[in-house]
Amino acid sequence: MSALLSAAAHRTLLAVLRRAYPHDTFPVGPYQRVVDAVLTAAAADPRLLAQLVQGLADLDRLRDLPFADLDADTAGAVLRSVQDTPFFRSVIDIAVVKLYDDHEVWDLLGYEGPSFDKGGYVDRGFADLDWLPEPQIEEASA
Amino acid sequence: MTRFETSRFGHDDEDVVVIVGSGAGGGTLANELCRNGIKVVVLEAGPHLTGEDYVNDEWEAFGQMAWTDPRTASGSWRIAKDFPNLPAWIVKAVGGTTTHCAGACPRFKPHEFHARTTYGDLEGASLLDWPITLSELEPYYDRAEIKMGVSHRHGRPPLPANNNYKVFAGGAAELGYTKVSTGPYATNAEPYDGRPATVQDGFNFQGDKNGSKWSTLVAELPKAALTGNLDLRPDSHVAQILHDGRGRATGVLYTDRNGTLRRQRAAVVCVAGNSIETPRLLLLSASGLFPDGLANSSGQVGRNYMRHTTATAWGQFDKPVNMHRGETMAGVIADESRLDTDRGFTGGYYMETIALGPAFFAKFVAPGDWGPDLTAIVDGYRNTAGMWIIGEDMPQADNRITLSPDVTDAHGLPVADVHVDDHPNDVAMRRHGLGRGTAIYKAVGATRTIETPPYPSTHNLGTSRMSERPGDGVVDRYGRAHDVPNLFVSDGSQFTTGAAANPTLTIVALAVRQAEFIVRELNRTLV
Ligand SMILES: Cc1cc2nc3c(=O)[nH]c(=O)nc-3n(C[C@H](O)[C@H](O)[C@H](O)COP(=O)(O)OP(=O)(O)OC[C@H]3O[C@@H](n4cnc5c(N)ncnc54)[C@H](O)[C@@H]3O)c2cc1C
Repeated sequence: MSALLSAAAHRTLLAVLRRAYPHDTFPVGPYQRVVDAVLTAAAADPRLLAQLVQGLADLDRLRDLPFADLDADTAGAVLRSVQDTPFFRSVIDIAVVKLYDDHEVWDLLGYEGPSFDKGGYVDRGFADLDWLPEPQIEEASA
Repeated sequence: MTRFETSRFGHDDEDVVVIVGSGAGGGTLANELCRNGIKVVVLEAGPHLTGEDYVNDEWEAFGQMAWTDPRTASGSWRIAKDFPNLPAWIVKAVGGTTTHCAGACPRFKPHEFHARTTYGDLEGASLLDWPITLSELEPYYDRAEIKMGVSHRHGRPPLPANNNYKVFAGGAAELGYTKVSTGPYATNAEPYDGRPATVQDGFNFQGDKNGSKWSTLVAELPKAALTGNLDLRPDSHVAQILHDGRGRATGVLYTDRNGTLRRQRAAVVCVAGNSIETPRLLLLSASGLFPDGLANSSGQVGRNYMRHTTATAWGQFDKPVNMHRGETMAGVIADESRLDTDRGFTGGYYMETIALGPAFFAKFVAPGDWGPDLTAIVDGYRNTAGMWIIGEDMPQADNRITLSPDVTDAHGLPVADVHVDDHPNDVAMRRHGLGRGTAIYKAVGATRTIETPPYPSTHNLGTSRMSERPGDGVVDRYGRAHDVPNLFVSDGSQFTTGAAANPTLTIVALAVRQAEFIVRELNRTLV
């Protein structure tokens, strides 16, 4: 972890992620893992690190309160005001991949993940939808 | 499925046929030639992975298999904004993109071989009739379907309805559509051709670990290897096609897995690198004799790039769908693929089921978006049904592959730039398809519908097109270059126009037909 990013900056980044991808059902863990992923990427990418150093500090200066202490509406407005900056795009590009690739998130969303080792879904509900009638599977002959 | 071993032929063996690329076109052609006693060297840029190597994980599998060497995108299409460095989703591995291909296998319709005559002179479009007809291709379609074990055809049973399909077909019935089915689809509903029935694992965009889906990796190449006539060299990137003073191809230069540049001599060279890499290689092979690129006296190499008019419609419901369970694309509505210009556009389109996991869904459903609107959509994941719209796009001369003036790959070769502007016909068709797609979901109670713009192109076509007259295209009715008598194009680059159908069945049929021609002519006009 770079010494250029303070604990406050980490806290701001976490808040950015929670405000950018708000899910009532998600605990903090998946967001924290995205923070880690962003910081890991920045450790190998000086340009990204520079964007974070400047961008996170800027966010804390845009209102009277630090970004992490803003209410949802204000935080949303602040993020919209920076949404086209390279800083924000870089964070979003990493976050949308990492957050939804998280297995805890998959569980929360109802996605069952790898299936081949369990024999696929052939005996595990690939056709268990019962709120519509059974459809034709061949073209109706004219 | 374990890795198969192949023969080894010498670099100076002059009687081999060299095939560049091991996907739908190259892998099929290799098998057909090998079975007829012809020695074939297949040079494949990617690694030899098998089902055991594949992973049931969208991003990991993409990283493992997709062509992620740089490419650039330009033009007014949305891809240039959403995915500027990833204009296409193509696989770089033995088996090519057939390993990620879902397997939807419609045939072309008769009029789709005569697009210029049927649709007329559309402003801005470079439509041209194919030099062949459906009736000429029909016997090869039969052979391709039998090879691929296509469901609903030649006695192969249909796949059962999965959850995503039930919603799709239910809505289609409400709207009065009748051409609704779970195929034709190149995956086994029951064991066939030595491969097992599908276990409905839901990962055929990630390579099918079970081997139930046809691909050149599990079907064509291992069969070719058994003949003893195949020398498959993975991790071998072809950098240039060589020719002699008479303008005949003599072999290729390629970089092997150690980074060493090698020459393979050949009697015939066949290029099947998919429609971005094929023209790139022809352009990279420019020489004193062929200053604008090999086989490019027409100036058509790289032009008329097509990628189908696509979009995705999603419906979200107040009950679970679980679209991720089961075959990804085993569902087709064919009613809108008809010829009917009353809809405000020319050409037809199919609707096909599509399922993504949350990782791809969140990334692609509204590219670049964030915030509560996006997360509300993702929260509905479990209750989501999806369909892909795929229709005929208009070829345009300036939709083209060129060599990038400033970006090079790891071998120092200029990369491909993919330039596309949507044709107004494409825009009108996409709008119509999304309208019908969302109506289908609303008809069975969708509480929300979502319209998603195109993904990086999975169908890439037309950049070395077939033409009757040499001035209009790059290759003749057999895929042989007009300018170079022993050079063939063997993939979807040959397509004169794109039709509405998913392309792989037609690529395979053309490869079977081309192989027959090469077998017949090898010791006659090709020497
Ligand atoms: C997710 C997905 C789903 C799809 N679903 C369907 C479907 O349902 N139905 C359908 O019909 N089609 C589908 N397709 C499309 C289908 O996969 C392609 O149309 C088909 O594989 C193209 O065949 P090809 O021979 O042109 O190229 P490919 O199959 O892409 O093979 C080209 C090969 O050439 C290699 N190569 C390229 N350049 C070089 C070089 N210079 N040297 C050496 N090797 C090189 C590449 O690494 C690659 O392996 C799908 C594609 C994707 C990505």
